[in-house]
Amino acid sequence: MVDALISDEAFIKGCAAVGAGLAVGLAGIGAGAGESGIGAAAVGAIAEDRGFLGLGLLFTVIPETIVIFGLVISFILMFAYG
Amino acid sequence: MLKPEKMVKISVVGPKEQLEYASETLYKVNLLHIEDPKEAEYFRIGEPLEKASLISRSLVQLRSYISYLKIDPSRIVPKRKYRSKEIEDKLSKKLEEYQEQIGRKIEENRSIDEKIRGLEDELRIIEPLKVLGIPSRLLKGYKNLRCFVGLVKENPVEELSKITDQFDAVIKEYQKELLVAIFVKAEYGDEFFRTLQGFGYRELPVPDIDDYDVRINEIEREKEELLNRKKQLETEIEEIKVKEAELLLAIEEYLSSELDKSELPLRALVSKYAFVIVGYVPAKQLDEFRSEVERNGKIVVEVIEEEEEDVPPTKLDNPAIVRDYELLTTTYATPKYKELDPSAIMAVFFTIFFGMMLGDMGYGLLITILALYLKTVFRTEGWQKLLNIAIYCGLSSILFGFIYGEFFGPFIIPGIEEPSKIHFLGDALSALYTFNHHHPLFDRVEEFGVKALLFIVLLIGMFKMLWGFALGFYNVYVEHGMKEAIYEKGCWFIGVLGLVMLIFGFSYNLGIFTSPPEEGFGHLLPDNLYMLGSYTVEEGKEVPLPIPGLVDGWQAGVNIFYVLALPLLIVWFVIFLKAEIPKMGIFGIIMAVELLTWFGQIISYARLLAIGLSSVYIAFVINYLSVKIGTPPGMALLPVAIILLLIGHAGNLLLGILDPGLQSLRLHYVEFFTKFFEGGGKEYSPFGRVKKFLED
Repeated sequence: MVDALISDEAFIKGCAAVGAGLAVGLAGIGAGAGESGIGAAAVGAIAEDRGFLGLGLLFTVIPETIVIFGLVISFILMFAYG
Repeated sequence: MLKPEKMVKISVVGPKEQLEYASETLYKVNLLHIEDPKEAEYFRIGEPLEKASLISRSLVQLRSYISYLKIDPSRIVPKRKYRSKEIEDKLSKKLEEYQEQIGRKIEENRSIDEKIRGLEDELRIIEPLKVLGIPSRLLKGYKNLRCFVGLVKENPVEELSKITDQFDAVIKEYQKELLVAIFVKAEYGDEFFRTLQGFGYRELPVPDIDDYDVRINEIEREKEELLNRKKQLETEIEEIKVKEAELLLAIEEYLSSELDKSELPLRALVSKYAFVIVGYVPAKQLDEFRSEVERNGKIVVEVIEEEEEDVPPTKLDNPAIVRDYELLTTTYATPKYKELDPSAIMAVFFTIFFGMMLGDMGYGLLITILALYLKTVFRTEGWQKLLNIAIYCGLSSILFGFIYGEFFGPFIIPGIEEPSKIHFLGDALSALYTFNHHHPLFDRVEEFGVKALLFIVLLIGMFKMLWGFALGFYNVYVEHGMKEAIYEKGCWFIGVLGLVMLIFGFSYNLGIFTSPPEEGFGHLLPDNLYMLGSYTVEEGKEVPLPIPGLVDGWQAGVNIFYVLALPLLIVWFVIFLKAEIPKMGIFGIIMAVELLTWFGQIISYARLLAIGLSSVYIAFVINYLSVKIGTPPGMALLPVAIILLLIGHAGNLLLGILDPGLQSLRLHYVEFFTKFFEGGGKEYSPFGRVKKFLED
């Protein structure tokens, strides 16, 4: 089926691109879910004490590492097959 | 620079009657960090000097004025400084004057508020009665009748007529409720009341007023007069605020320092005839301190030998530029006295990381200019430090922007040949000589650039990871000795070094160190200076996974890095087992998984590349769109293009400040500090005060 429509190479490239997108997108959702709780707590803490702003912002970005991992994977995919 | 300043533990001893003199002197030198005393057999904690209670009373009053006037000392830059003597002379007169001027006014203001509230309450009662339209004398004072005046939720007449039909009711609608006046024979009164309660009856007290309208007018007039007076008072108070703010704060400062001085005995030990104060002084300033304090010949300063359990306070000791970055360190924690102070490392790497991520001349320039401007607006110390950091970061962004060749976004994008299509200043930028032939020095939007930068940032990550463990080794060594240091940090240093060697071996097999960059990458340096080639594998050699054994013959994938990694990992594992097994038992082996955490943290440095790339592409999209709709044939949309350009870049700049700032901070806090920095030190706060509104 697939052979009839597109070449193997194009199919692999396309799959790699979709995989790269998924890697970043899903990681983003994960990080977002993690950050939501931290963000809510941070806003609460900041409402109590403005001095917490810096630390609160910092805690909020901690789960972003996950996205970075996703991004690295997507880079590797794109380098290898893009 | 990397260590907090050395402290000396001292005691100040003298006869009891010299305590007041001692407090004056110690306050003036402003060097002694006083330790909280522990009572002993003959020595008790002293009592505040006599004047303390008087001072604190005046201070409380003054502070209440300051808070009422909403004067914020951090926002005021004193035009002139007051001498303590001057304040001392004026003090009692000024305090009386303030009592007269501000205190009275505050009180009058309060009583006006109260009166207005009273009038409003009255109005709230009269208004419904006016709607009812029955004069007040007809609503009360009956002998045989009971009269209910009030508000109900629904019409009660039907229910009431079940009790008796001998009653009269006047019902009017009033603000979604019903206003009722019900007259009934006194004997039915109680029953009626119970029924009405079922309808949510709220009684209105009937005042002695003949004509509601007249009274309402009167109230309105009175209220207006009061409001006028209130406004007048407020302008007067505002005038006082403008005129007296600085003097008020100067007096506050004076009184606070007097209070501090007179409360010194609470931090000293006093016997029948003598006093002792124990504390820390920076070693550098010991001589100066001693000569000042011992001047009158009756007080003695003695150096005490430190004991094991003593915890000296931390005074960070850094050159001027690094001092700005102390803000970022202390936000995380104050270093312990014996710990390394990472502010200097932070100063270098925070700035570089920020520049690496943002890396745009235009944005860097804007940040620098903005920070320079804001420095003239926000004068408090914290803001000044933060804005100084912003300036350094802006400059670093300009530098990296030059290297990357970006000015409000890139002007060369692979696949699109004409710079004028990508960037609103594309032609001008590429026409400049440096840009024409030697730029960009390093192009991070090109594929090879991305690969190379990815590898460079991971190298930085590995380096900082190892450095962190090395610093941690030092810290633990100083605090707990060599054995602990090796078990706790040295072991992981070796482990991570092995990991790094594995990564290098892997990279070597990928050809990262050997193959030259693609044609056309970079324009300044000769090709052979680029150490980092592309990820292509040499022809004829298949490397599905560059791990030894997978390629023809077991030795084919083996390189020098793998050879180095093996013993390192073995040494790590042995030390690790020696450290963990006694503590955790056999299951301690599971903890070896932690090595993977460090791998993750090295990968985490990839954000140095990723954050930057996202900002580059946002800038590129903004430029591309606005050039596309702003140039022929879509010329008519030029205003839209300009708006898009401005708003887009403003938004991207905001992201470009926030994200690199936070991520750079996080790379230090999470990936770097956790290896060596515990914090929890006491901040050095000497007895005395930095004067803002006073001078000697």
